[in-house]
Amino acid sequence: MNQPLAGYAPAPVTARMENHGDHMLKVAMQTGNDLYARVGSMVAYEGFVQYEPSPSAVRQIAKDWVTGEGAPLMKCTGDGLLYLADYGANVVVVNLDGDGISVNATNLLAFDAHLSWGVERVKGLAKFAGQGLWNTRISGQGWVALTSRGTPIVVDCGGGEDETYVDPDALVAWSPNLRVKGKRSFKAQSLIGRGSGEAYQMAFSGQGVVVVQPSEDSTDRLRIRG
Amino acid sequence: MAREFQRGHKARVSDLTAGTDLYVGVQISGPGLSFDISCFGLDADERLSDDRYFVFYNQPESPEESLRLLGAQAGDTESFRVTLDRVPQQIQKLSFTATIDGDGQMSQAGPGYLRIVAGGEEVARYPFDGSEFSTERAVMLGDFYRKDGWRFAAVGQGFDGGLEALLKNFGGEVAEEEEEPPQPEPQQPQAAAVPGFAPPAQAAAPPAFAAPAQVPAPPAPAPAPFPPASPAPRGFTPPPGPTPSAVPDVHAAQTIIAPLHTPPGGSPPPPPPPPPGLPGQPPPYGHVPGQVPPPPGYGQPPYAPGPPPGYGQPPHAPGPPPGYGQPPHAPAPPPGYGRPAPYGVPPTPPPGAAPQGTGVAAALQRFRETGTGHRWTLQNSKLVRVDLGTADQPVLARQGSMVLYQGKVDFAYKGAGFAGRIVGNATGQEMQLMRCTGKGQVFLAEEAAMLHPIELQGDAVCVSAENVLAFDESLQYEVRRIEGHGIPGGALFTMQFQGTGTLVVKTRGVPVVLPVTPTTFADCNAVVAWSAAAQVIVSSQVRMRRNAYPGDTGESVNLQFRAAPGSFVVVQPYEI
Repeated sequence: MNQPLAGYAPAPVTARMENHGDHMLKVAMQTGNDLYARVGSMVAYEGFVQYEPSPSAVRQIAKDWVTGEGAPLMKCTGDGLLYLADYGANVVVVNLDGDGISVNATNLLAFDAHLSWGVERVKGLAKFAGQGLWNTRISGQGWVALTSRGTPIVVDCGGGEDETYVDPDALVAWSPNLRVKGKRSFKAQSLIGRGSGEAYQMAFSGQGVVVVQPSEDSTDRLRIRG
Repeated sequence: MAREFQRGHKARVSDLTAGTDLYVGVQISGPGLSFDISCFGLDADERLSDDRYFVFYNQPESPEESLRLLGAQAGDTESFRVTLDRVPQQIQKLSFTATIDGDGQMSQAGPGYLRIVAGGEEVARYPFDGSEFSTERAVMLGDFYRKDGWRFAAVGQGFDGGLEALLKNFGGEVAEEEEEPPQPEPQQPQAAAVPGFAPPAQAAAPPAFAAPAQVPAPPAPAPAPFPPASPAPRGFTPPPGPTPSAVPDVHAAQTIIAPLHTPPGGSPPPPPPPPPGLPGQPPPYGHVPGQVPPPPGYGQPPYAPGPPPGYGQPPHAPGPPPGYGQPPHAPAPPPGYGRPAPYGVPPTPPPGAAPQGTGVAAALQRFRETGTGHRWTLQNSKLVRVDLGTADQPVLARQGSMVLYQGKVDFAYKGAGFAGRIVGNATGQEMQLMRCTGKGQVFLAEEAAMLHPIELQGDAVCVSAENVLAFDESLQYEVRRIEGHGIPGGALFTMQFQGTGTLVVKTRGVPVVLPVTPTTFADCNAVVAWSAAAQVIVSSQVRMRRNAYPGDTGESVNLQFRAAPGSFVVVQPYEI
């Protein structure tokens, strides 16, 4: 099989999670080392891997998962190689190694099941009752895979009091120790159809990084609860 | 004992040494970078009022030889002899700077230092590292300044614009450059958290050549008889805290003030794949061949001896039987499937990789913001950063295309005006724009489309309105009509941009840029932009048979370009 396609054969495994190309994730699965992945993200697997849609342990938490389209998780167990992708989005693999990261639910592809994680509402953003930005905070020793529409950019917040303003639609992840505030920049003229298209931003300050994708998801991220 | 300075630290020279005849050495280097190290003698207003006190490679000494450039020696990239008590009174401050000659940015620089040697002994050292900087092209390393006698301050403050910006900042004259320095005002180094004086005993392992014994190279005069009449009277109270030396500026030109890790040529943490091992023994999952250092984070320690029967063995493996699970006849060490990976094992960074190992910051290293100090910087193929700078030059961008900004930026609706609305409605060449004003950096992107900045210098370019992402407000634009027959509706319209400034065009997919030849045609739905010097004709293929029967090729209306050589056409792989 000396055809050009042969160049896309999987590379030898060197880590728990790896990129296969820019848009696909390869996970080395092992028994006892389960994985939570976005439902429907599996594109291929080798070996014995089983999928449990929204297992009972998760369902408890998933009750709180009010992500609008309800991006649920599936639990993957078994031995083998698992390939995940999300509609051609770029995949970014992060080895947490004790750090934490706060990920927008729509940008979370997979993470090790033994990591400590939880869904939280981003503080300071609930300007209206029942509304807010929900995201997943993950920390511990293990691997996380994020998705991004287009090559992401990582911006350092600088550590001072200066604030970095991000369009919520383009936000992928951020360091959990950053301070988050909402910033509304619309003026009265926005109400008469003359807005700049940038009505609402999130302001980050502190020591850490913000990951932003070069695309603005059409899905509304400030969702109504319930 | 050399006193270790940190960024923002200040001290009296008389507390460091009784001498005033000093040797100042600067060591800075980076892969592929060359540095110019210079010394500015500034007056009380921090201006370079006298050009003769700008000591650099073309002017190696000041008139009365109180400042003299000595060249590279004793491990220092550049060195100076500074005789403080001979510096004339109008010179209030001596600022030592390093600027990059050519391309590059300060974050690529490796560890370096500025040190002060007096009487053959190193008395002060300010180590710095390229990772403290980002996109700057110049850095002010340290200052000697007069305040009740001479004092020394470790500054470590970057400048985006390079030597020109630095010169301008000091009031020097420089040939006018077309590019404005993004930030011509100094910024207070982030000295807030740093105590005023460092414990002197913080001797970080100095580089190998730091042995002070060999330091004062021949030209550096070691003043054996220290003039005791040093201007600073001793027996003062301890020097006061940090002296304000510059107006704090909230938003420096660079957005990264203190990058977490920016090793030169930093490589992402994933280790290089194991060397192509024996063909019959690919590593099982999670295992690494024994001769390879374990990859960070994951990976069992290389205890697996021999050919572990592992999953993923190619079928042609002659040796151990392939199999997914643990084969019962496996030799003593079972393969690592059922073994939870020892996550707590501190990962050994692979050789050649960045030394910081793993973690969020390291994993995201390769996606970090980059910058060149230009107004428009392409961050990656789909994201552009515009630095609004200090000059009042707003940017017009498509509404909603901002993904992130730092600084004080205001976004406002940009109307097309009444006539513009009418024209826009009639021609379809309508842009929903917003005006970005203020000071700071704005990151623009839209729908992960590829972005291409086009710099116009008086010339013009035609772009379809829906392919415009952003442009400098200094550009003029108007709707142009492409004449042609055979088009439903009568004509095609396009936007023509003209003037001096940058226009960012977006395309879906990787575009093709064709030089205009006598036979250059493009689909009018896929064409994105062309240089306005090209003349455009609509060429329609009219063939009775094709048009009369069903089964049209769908390629009936094309644009033909005619122009002098040098013109171009940009076509995207997507027809709107």
